[in-house]
Amino acid sequence: MIEFERYTLKNGLKVLLHHDKTTPMVVVNTLYDVGARDELEDKTGFAHLFEHLMFGGSLHVKDFDQELQKAGGESNAFTSNDITNYYEIIPAINIETALWLESDRMLSLAFTDKSLEVQRSVVIEEFKQRYLNQPYGDVWLELRPLAYLKHPYRWATIGKDISHIEEAEMSDVKKFFKKFYCPSNAILCVSGNFDSGTIKDLIEKYYGTIPGGKKPARLLPMEPTQEEFREKSIQRDVSADAFYYAFHMSERKNIGYYIADLLSDAIGKDQSSLLNIALKKEQTLVSEINAFITGSLDHGLFLITGKLLEGVDFATLDNALWRELEKIKVEGFTDRKLNSLKNKLSTAKAFQEQGLLNKSISLCMFELLGDANGINEEIQIYNGIENTDVLNFANSILKRENCSLLKINKTK
Amino acid sequence: MNRKNAPKTHKTGAISFVSPEKIPLNESVPLYWMSDIANETSRIDIYFDAGLRKGKNSIASTTSSLLLSGTSLKSSTEIHNQLNDLGAFFDIGLSHEGVMVSLFALKRNISEAYEVLLDAIINARFPESEFQEVKAEKIQKFKINMNRVGVLAQRAFQKQLYYGTKYAEVSNEIDLQKVERKELLKFHEENYICGLFKIAVVGALAEGQIQHIINISKGLCIKNPLEFKSDFCNKPGAIHIEKNDAVQTAIRIGKTLFNKTNKDFLDMSILNTILGDYFGSRLMKNIREDKGYTYGIGSIISESGGSGYLLVGSEVGKEHLQAALDEVKKEMFRLCNEKIKKKELDLVKNHLLGQMLKISDGPYAMMDLFLSVESYGMSSDFYNLYIQRIHDIDASAILRIANAHLNWSDMSVISAG
Repeated sequence: MIEFERYTLKNGLKVLLHHDKTTPMVVVNTLYDVGARDELEDKTGFAHLFEHLMFGGSLHVKDFDQELQKAGGESNAFTSNDITNYYEIIPAINIETALWLESDRMLSLAFTDKSLEVQRSVVIEEFKQRYLNQPYGDVWLELRPLAYLKHPYRWATIGKDISHIEEAEMSDVKKFFKKFYCPSNAILCVSGNFDSGTIKDLIEKYYGTIPGGKKPARLLPMEPTQEEFREKSIQRDVSADAFYYAFHMSERKNIGYYIADLLSDAIGKDQSSLLNIALKKEQTLVSEINAFITGSLDHGLFLITGKLLEGVDFATLDNALWRELEKIKVEGFTDRKLNSLKNKLSTAKAFQEQGLLNKSISLCMFELLGDANGINEEIQIYNGIENTDVLNFANSILKRENCSLLKINKTK
Repeated sequence: MNRKNAPKTHKTGAISFVSPEKIPLNESVPLYWMSDIANETSRIDIYFDAGLRKGKNSIASTTSSLLLSGTSLKSSTEIHNQLNDLGAFFDIGLSHEGVMVSLFALKRNISEAYEVLLDAIINARFPESEFQEVKAEKIQKFKINMNRVGVLAQRAFQKQLYYGTKYAEVSNEIDLQKVERKELLKFHEENYICGLFKIAVVGALAEGQIQHIINISKGLCIKNPLEFKSDFCNKPGAIHIEKNDAVQTAIRIGKTLFNKTNKDFLDMSILNTILGDYFGSRLMKNIREDKGYTYGIGSIISESGGSGYLLVGSEVGKEHLQAALDEVKKEMFRLCNEKIKKKELDLVKNHLLGQMLKISDGPYAMMDLFLSVESYGMSSDFYNLYIQRIHDIDASAILRIANAHLNWSDMSVISAG
């Protein structure tokens, strides 16, 4: 059980406090309700580029990192298709430094040309390092627009194309900040060994005077129901053929998300998962096979991916895979399988709850979903899932007409 | 409130480093137990003297991948299912100097999960089908990896770093193909059975549970104390591996150093932080935050049993290779020739003290800190000395240590891309 207190400042900033006296540290975590899904189609990659610029100095602070390091703290951030999240980890006695720095960049950035110029280059190198210069690195750049036709999940957080980043201008940066970076669009979680008597005053001191702004309305196009199987085949300079089956599934808040999470673990997480046993061990068609979900807030994807063994063709794999999926749709799981999945989740949860940063990010995520206490209710939801739920889910999702397949052919 | 004024910062307080209880299995093999933990989680690490140094790389690595591949009574699937039933996770790590198998579970399940794990390791028979499956997987992964510039550079670096020794060996496809099942059985017999050299347990287990772990592990204890090679010397000079279609070039620069027992270790560790081991380091500030040549650049100092090394690593835009190398060289030169300013040194000191507090947070962290000095016959008192040295070190000492260990002409300089 993770205890927390929740309140809202007058300017609309939601605050979560989680007191943990067993640690000498505090974490200050700030979630902004903006991600790549909020970008314009011709300016993709912007939420992520912006995350880099948040470290380039703010209205009253020239060097964010240097001030934090002086206080013994460290910081990082990440951007997803849904959110942008920033955190500081700092010795509890220096908590004020973190609040000072994080609140100042919520108030306003410095917007220097140098920072934009350098971070554009850094992000372009990141694009190359992660997506272009790795075997199978561009899979998500290809798979997203195959699976999504309307919803902005059709581009990756890094952006559709390097040119979008190269062309980013200061006026775009300022507009983006003004629209999305305000108290009413943020959730702040302070956790760790803070002084309970003074923490609220400190938060009020640094955040209370920031103009609240208006929470931007989000009107994203709905992804139309897929009605036909889609397939794309591309050639890359890699040494094994690879396949990516993507099925549309429910949004994060739906029970279907939890069922999908369990189902993906059961069929493709480890060596004893169903597809591993059938397609790797018994039929020796693949060198690896995995199943996982994207974890998106809007309607996400359920994926089955893997690599073919030398000499095996895509059609053979395809037949064998659908045969296994049809079996799952009839039989579901054994009780033993379902229980072992739940037991592993309990263990994983107990380990995760030891990490202060982990807890802080999760509390903010659940608050964004509607209630931070979701962090404490999750395990009951998983435990309540029965075989009939799995069967219903598998039958509604694992259908050919709900599937997009990307095939990567190796160079011969 | 004037937002321009930074809040007053405070020095972090003293850290009390807690050592685990030591319970001997025999005269040379200890079990370490960190029992003071206020939740249900637990972890058992077991260490075998079955690392890469004990045989051909391909054999040592295939054996470690197949430790849970099945016994004469149980299939691999059944072993994994039994661990899953108990909600347990495991992880197998291989280095030159050992294999560490870690087991994670709730404390009520850990004894039973450990029995399953240990039985699988002791009685591993490496069934032919599992062996062929892992072999095919390894060969395919190898081929895919040989397309990564980072892997190409790292392999070349390892050859130069450990020049002329067993540690310089890197596997090729042909080595992986040639591995035979009987070689695994032999390697297992020689290096796992009678190869156990350490156990570490974190968790509020009952005394009886610990005794049980000892009883069922005892038979595997190693007979002689471990000895590691220490006389390595890297081969300096530049090597470039061309990869036509690459859009970035991987850089690996480094040299042989020493381990924690060396008198220069603490100062070198602080110097390494200044050079490249935090976000505000010289390399990051210059090569990423000023020039934008890379998404990231860093330096580490790493230790093996008898030795250690310095490594600077990055992946830079192909067109920036020479400029990036020049800047790394320049930053090393500056550290050897200009005294660090007080402002920067103070910042590094505060950063390091904050990091010390962070990496000693909680019983798992305390155990890991302890284990990383215990291998060198040292105690957790090492960290008190380290903190004292962070407070005491001055610009002259930084200059001295840089001149001793940061000369460009000593470096192996690898690029691939």
